[in-house]
Amino acid sequence: MPFKSVAFERLVDVDRAKGRFRINREAYKSQEVFDREKSQIFDKCWLYLGHKSEIVNPGDFVRRTVAGRNLIFTRDRGGEVRALVNACTHRGASICRETKGNARTFTCPYHGWTFDLTGKLVSTFSNEGYRADLNEAGRLNLPVPPKLENYRGFYFVNYNPKAIPLVDFLAGAKDAIDSYCDQAEDGEDGLYVLKGEHAYSINANYKFLVENSYDGYHVIPTHISYLDYLKDRAAGTAQEQVVADVANVFRGKGKLTCLGNGHAVLSSWVPTGRPVAYWIDRWGPEIKRHIDSNRARLIQRYGEERATYLAEMQKNLVIFPNLVFNDNVGLTIRNIEPVGPGRIHVRAWGFAHKGEDPELLKIRLDNFNNFLGPAGFGSADDIEMLELCQTGIEHSPTEWTELSKGMDTTAPDLRLQTGAPDDECQMQAYWTQWDRTMRGLDTFEQE
Amino acid sequence: MTSKHELRNDVESFLFDEAELLDNWKLPEWASLFTADGKYEVASMSSDQPLRDDPATSIFIISDDREEITLRTDRLMKKTAHCEYPHSKTRHLVSNVRAREDGGQILAKSNFATYRTKEGRTSLYMGEAHYVLQRAGESFRICQKRCALDLDTLNDQGRLTIIL
Repeated sequence: MPFKSVAFERLVDVDRAKGRFRINREAYKSQEVFDREKSQIFDKCWLYLGHKSEIVNPGDFVRRTVAGRNLIFTRDRGGEVRALVNACTHRGASICRETKGNARTFTCPYHGWTFDLTGKLVSTFSNEGYRADLNEAGRLNLPVPPKLENYRGFYFVNYNPKAIPLVDFLAGAKDAIDSYCDQAEDGEDGLYVLKGEHAYSINANYKFLVENSYDGYHVIPTHISYLDYLKDRAAGTAQEQVVADVANVFRGKGKLTCLGNGHAVLSSWVPTGRPVAYWIDRWGPEIKRHIDSNRARLIQRYGEERATYLAEMQKNLVIFPNLVFNDNVGLTIRNIEPVGPGRIHVRAWGFAHKGEDPELLKIRLDNFNNFLGPAGFGSADDIEMLELCQTGIEHSPTEWTELSKGMDTTAPDLRLQTGAPDDECQMQAYWTQWDRTMRGLDTFEQE
Repeated sequence: MTSKHELRNDVESFLFDEAELLDNWKLPEWASLFTADGKYEVASMSSDQPLRDDPATSIFIISDDREEITLRTDRLMKKTAHCEYPHSKTRHLVSNVRAREDGGQILAKSNFATYRTKEGRTSLYMGEAHYVLQRAGESFRICQKRCALDLDTLNDQGRLTIIL
C-alpha cells in the first residue's frame, strides 16, 4: 500500500442540512491516526486506574496498564492513594512483577534499588561510588503520573500536568456515576470490586468497542440468541411474554443522553430484572422480599422518580475516551486499552454491594458471567461483530462509516443532544469530541 | 469393587468420549452427560485458588448450573450464536488422567490442551480439569467439571466460546 497521509481535519464529516454524520474509516485503521490519538487524546484525557476498594490497606497494590504505561496503584503508609510508574529510575527494569499484593517497599530485582510506597528512592543497595547528593531534588524517585484524582472512589490518572480537574472533565458523567454509587446502602463506600476479572483481547479498533458498549441499535439483531436465552429461562412465568415483547417496546422505553465532553449514557429497558430493586417473578418470593426492601430504601432516600430510574433502567455509560460503566443486572467496569489500530486489550471488573443478600449477589455474578465476558452469551457475539467490522473496513473500498441515525440537527452542540435508545447520537457526541480533541480544538487543559 | 487401575481406565475412556462429543459438536449429547444438578465452571485466570473459589462470591469465566449448561449448548447450536458460526474446528487433547473413589463419588483430574481454529486463526487453551463424577450403569455422569486455565489472560485467544 502506498503511504497515505491522513487529513486529520476531515475524518469526521457532518452535514446537518442533509442529516449526515459519517466517519472516515482511516480513523479505525490508520497507524498515523493511532499515533496521534496517543498524544492528542490519551496523553490529555483522564484515564481510569482503579477503585479504592482494591487497595484498602496501606501497602496493598495492583498493577495496571493505562494507555501503554505500566502503573502501580497503591496506598502508602499514611493511607494516601498513589500511582507509580513501574520502571526503575536506574536502568529501567520493571520493579513490580506481581499483579497484586501487599508490599512495604518495591525493590528492583536487577541492582536492588528500593522505593517506598510514595515512590521515594530509599536504597541503592550499594552506596559506594555514589555522591551523597545522588538523589538531589528526588530526581531518582519513581515517576508518577502528573495527576491522580478520584470521583466517588473511582481513581483516574492524567498524563498532562496542565489537565483540568477530573470533576470538570467528567461533566454530566458525574450524575451517571452517582446513579451507579447511589444504589448501594452505604453509597460509594458500600461498593466493592469482586474477586476475579475478565481479561481478553479483540482484534478491532478501540472505538468499535466504545460504540458497541452503548449501542441500543444492535441489541435485538446481534443478541437475538441472548433474548432466546432469557425467554427460555422465563418459560412458564409471566416474564416470558415480557421478554417476547422487548423488540416492540425497546425504542419507547429508554433514552440516550449525551453528557458533554464526549461522554454519554444509554438508559434502556431490558427485561432481565435488576437485583438493586427490580424483581422478576422467576426469582421467587424470597428474593422479592429483599428487592422490595431495597426499593423502599431508594424511594425513601431519592424519591419515587429517581428510585424508579435507579431500579428499573439499565445504564451503559461511556466516559471519553475508553471507559465503560455497565449498570445492567450487576455493576461492571470495562476498560479498553488500545494496543494498535486494530487491537485492544479489555479488562472488566464486577462490583457488588457490601452486606448484600447472597442470592442477590448470585444474580449479579450470573449475569456478569453469562452475558458479559469472553465466554458470555452476549459479549462473545459482540466481539465477533467488532472483528467482522475491522476485517471489513481493512479491505473494503467504502471510505465512510454511516453514523447518522437519530441526529438532532437542531442541537446547538451534538455533545449535548438526547435521542431514542436505538439512535446513534451518543456516537455522534463521542466522535464530535474525538474530532475536536484530535484537531487540538479541545485540550482539556486549564487556562 | 474395581481396582485403582480399572477405575482410572474407565474414567479415562469416559473423558475421551466426552472430548469426542465436543470435537464433533454433539453439544446436546455432551450436556446430557451432566447430572440434574451438574455444574460446568471455568475459573477466572486472575485467581490464586481457581479450584477453591466460590462462584457465589467471585467472578468466573463460566459458572453454569445444569439449566445454563443446556442453554449454553442450545445457543451454540444456533446460527444466531455469531461467535461460533460457522462452527470452529476444535481438538480436545486429554492426558494425565487420575481418579479415586471418595465416598459415593469419584474425583478425577485431567490435563487438557484444546485447540480452536476459526477464520484462519488457531488458539490454544490449556490447563487442568477437575471432575466430580458419579457412576451411572457402565459409565459415569458429571456432577461438576471445573477447568483452571494455565493462562494469565485471554489476550492470545481473544475469547472462550467453545466448551473446554
